[in-house]
Amino acid sequence: MLSQPLAADDKSGLTIVKDAHFGEVLFYFYQEDYFPAIVRLLAANKQTQLENHIDESELLLGGLYLSYGHHLQAAEIFERLLVDSVDQDIRDRTWFFLAKVWYQRGYLAESQHALDKIETELPKPLEAERTMLQAQLLIDNSQHDQAIALLGDWPGEDTWASYAKFNLAVAMVRSGRVNIAADILDQLGKINPQNEELSSLRDKANLVLGYAYLQDGQPVAAKAPLQRVRLDGPFSNKALLGVGWADAEVDHYRRALVPWMELKDRDLLDPAVQESMLAIPYAMAKLNSISQAADHYLNAIEAFYEETRRIDQAIYRIESGEFLSEFLAQDALETTGWSWKLEALPEAPESRFLLHLLATHRFQEGLKNYRDLSYLLRNLDQWQQSVDVYRNMLDTRELAYNERLPRIEKSLGQADLDGMAARKLEFDARLNSIEGSADSLALATEREFDLWGEIIALERNPALQASIPEAEEIRDKVMLLRGVLQWDLDKEFKSRLWKIRRDLRQTGEALVKSSRSRRQVEEAMRNEPLLFAEFNRRVGGLSPKIDDLKARVEIVMDRQRVFMLGVAADELRAQKHRLDTYTVQARFALAAIYDLAATATADAGFGSR
Amino acid sequence: MTAAFAQDLAPLDSDSALAEAQSMEVGEAQARIEFRSLDQDVQSLKKEVLDLNRDLFLLEEELLFPANSQVAFFISMDVGEYFDLDAIKLKIDGKDVSNYLYTEREVSALHRGGVHRMHMENLKVGDHELVAVFTGKGPGVRDYRRGATMSFKKGIGAKYVELKITDRITKQQPEFVIKEWE
Repeated sequence: MLSQPLAADDKSGLTIVKDAHFGEVLFYFYQEDYFPAIVRLLAANKQTQLENHIDESELLLGGLYLSYGHHLQAAEIFERLLVDSVDQDIRDRTWFFLAKVWYQRGYLAESQHALDKIETELPKPLEAERTMLQAQLLIDNSQHDQAIALLGDWPGEDTWASYAKFNLAVAMVRSGRVNIAADILDQLGKINPQNEELSSLRDKANLVLGYAYLQDGQPVAAKAPLQRVRLDGPFSNKALLGVGWADAEVDHYRRALVPWMELKDRDLLDPAVQESMLAIPYAMAKLNSISQAADHYLNAIEAFYEETRRIDQAIYRIESGEFLSEFLAQDALETTGWSWKLEALPEAPESRFLLHLLATHRFQEGLKNYRDLSYLLRNLDQWQQSVDVYRNMLDTRELAYNERLPRIEKSLGQADLDGMAARKLEFDARLNSIEGSADSLALATEREFDLWGEIIALERNPALQASIPEAEEIRDKVMLLRGVLQWDLDKEFKSRLWKIRRDLRQTGEALVKSSRSRRQVEEAMRNEPLLFAEFNRRVGGLSPKIDDLKARVEIVMDRQRVFMLGVAADELRAQKHRLDTYTVQARFALAAIYDLAATATADAGFGSR
Repeated sequence: MTAAFAQDLAPLDSDSALAEAQSMEVGEAQARIEFRSLDQDVQSLKKEVLDLNRDLFLLEEELLFPANSQVAFFISMDVGEYFDLDAIKLKIDGKDVSNYLYTEREVSALHRGGVHRMHMENLKVGDHELVAVFTGKGPGVRDYRRGATMSFKKGIGAKYVELKITDRITKQQPEFVIKEWE
């Protein structure tokens, strides 16, 4: 239905994704996984993660709701958003799809309201569908004249035009213009169909016309259209029955038997076949084949009895709920959505009795609701299990935190980062002073410092102060040693200074990191208890919500199940009632034949005396 | 002939048929009311369950991947004509963390512009290395396997990384790019 996001930014018609979370929503949307797409969009909205897609995300949400079958919420969004700022084409298409959904769900007034919002012509195939939907609403509302005016002007000769003609005939009949309707149906009944759809429509038009003539007391006129119905189409049984009655109504009973004998061997489920089983002995009785008529009535009674028994078994299985359980067991339930359709009933004995229900909106929509409810229940079950896991997870985390907390507090207490920082600043100041005064001795190694001490001690030795050549020689040597040591110290001073500065800088960085970590730890110590409390509150609050919703889903599922089973069981009971009626008719007719035979025998016996 | 075959448009011309038709209409109206009541209840439940799912989804994310340590890895495709994606494997700091097999439906969604959040991880603040290996069918429908790497810095706050598969038309080859989502 809505296969593209409702707004496109580039010429290819695809949306350019600027926010990752918007792209994630699209990922599920394009796979028609509407439920997870909606959840992610709602979550991303709450986290303000769609800043680059604010307008289109809201419209996308409306489209997702509509695709998911949440039409009330979709309508609320569209009423709010589909204003002038949105592209006209998108607005009109959206209202059209909403009108369709509402019509199928039986919200006729809402459907009309949505159609009234469409301002311009839709793209060709949609426009035809829109007009047809409007006509259907008018007919349902008994506004036949307006429906006739709308359908009477239908252009072209395509499939839609043929459907329009048929609905026009319906509107004509309902407003009492039967003759005009007959002409239209006759035209339709003679078209040359290009496809199966048109072939079926042609058959239906001929069938309707034929029966209209029959009910109007014109059996001769009825025969021609009925004979135009295909022998292997979906309406052939009713047509065969009608052709038989058309002959029977003018007393051509032998001719009437031909289509009825063909009919009687077909599926007994069909009401036309059931009626043929009574019509045949009726005609035979008219042709004075009394014993054959009696045989056929007996066959009919027996066949009806067997079929009634099968229906009773089917009603029992349906009312026990086994039928719907089997349907759910066979259905994948991986996706949800308004566009899902049940194409075939489960392989079960009662399925053959319910085939025509498949074509009805109420059954399909009811089944969709039931399926969607089942999905919701499974979803809530899964979350219930997850929430239990989260509760355990939180308890474990809180326990681990409380165990670690004393050790962390002790470590923090022992670590005197402020003291270390102060000492580092002292070192910085001292180093600056050393650099300023070029005090290379301050950066001496321990050995160099010891050597320097020895040299100074020697210099101060009173023996070396003597004015003797030996003392002078030693004084010279000591001075040389001092000079060499001084030179070495001066040579290494810059590189040592650089290394120490580097070490101090790294120490400073480590101290900054440690301080940051400490602040984070302290913040965590303040916040963790609050976080635990908040998470516990949220988890604690969600758990009863899940339980409550589960209970309510189960209740509505029950109601839906009862409704669906009621619809199915009522259908079967209607079939059974028809068979009961035919059985009674057959018994009466048989009793009349026996009476007749008994009277004839008595007369013959009386006459022979 | 039974009135059971009266077509829905043929006028009814007997009292009993009329009574039956009226009774059917009443039954039909009741069924419509019941269906609508049910439908509205279903709609209401859907809204509540969706809202609850939103809250649970957010709670789960906050519990398992707190914002300060969260890194999310997104896969996107631009056209993707030269590469038919089968699987992607992710390695973070030398450790295998994810191996995802893509279905046809998922690849089609990527082609149309969807973005897949393939993996989420909790990482410490600092430098990390990501290695991604893409497996699929390349040009000429031949088996194709290519890697891409990226170093990134994790700070405070959630980080999003995009792994993008694009078509390099000039070389008629696919291109695999990893970058931080801005």
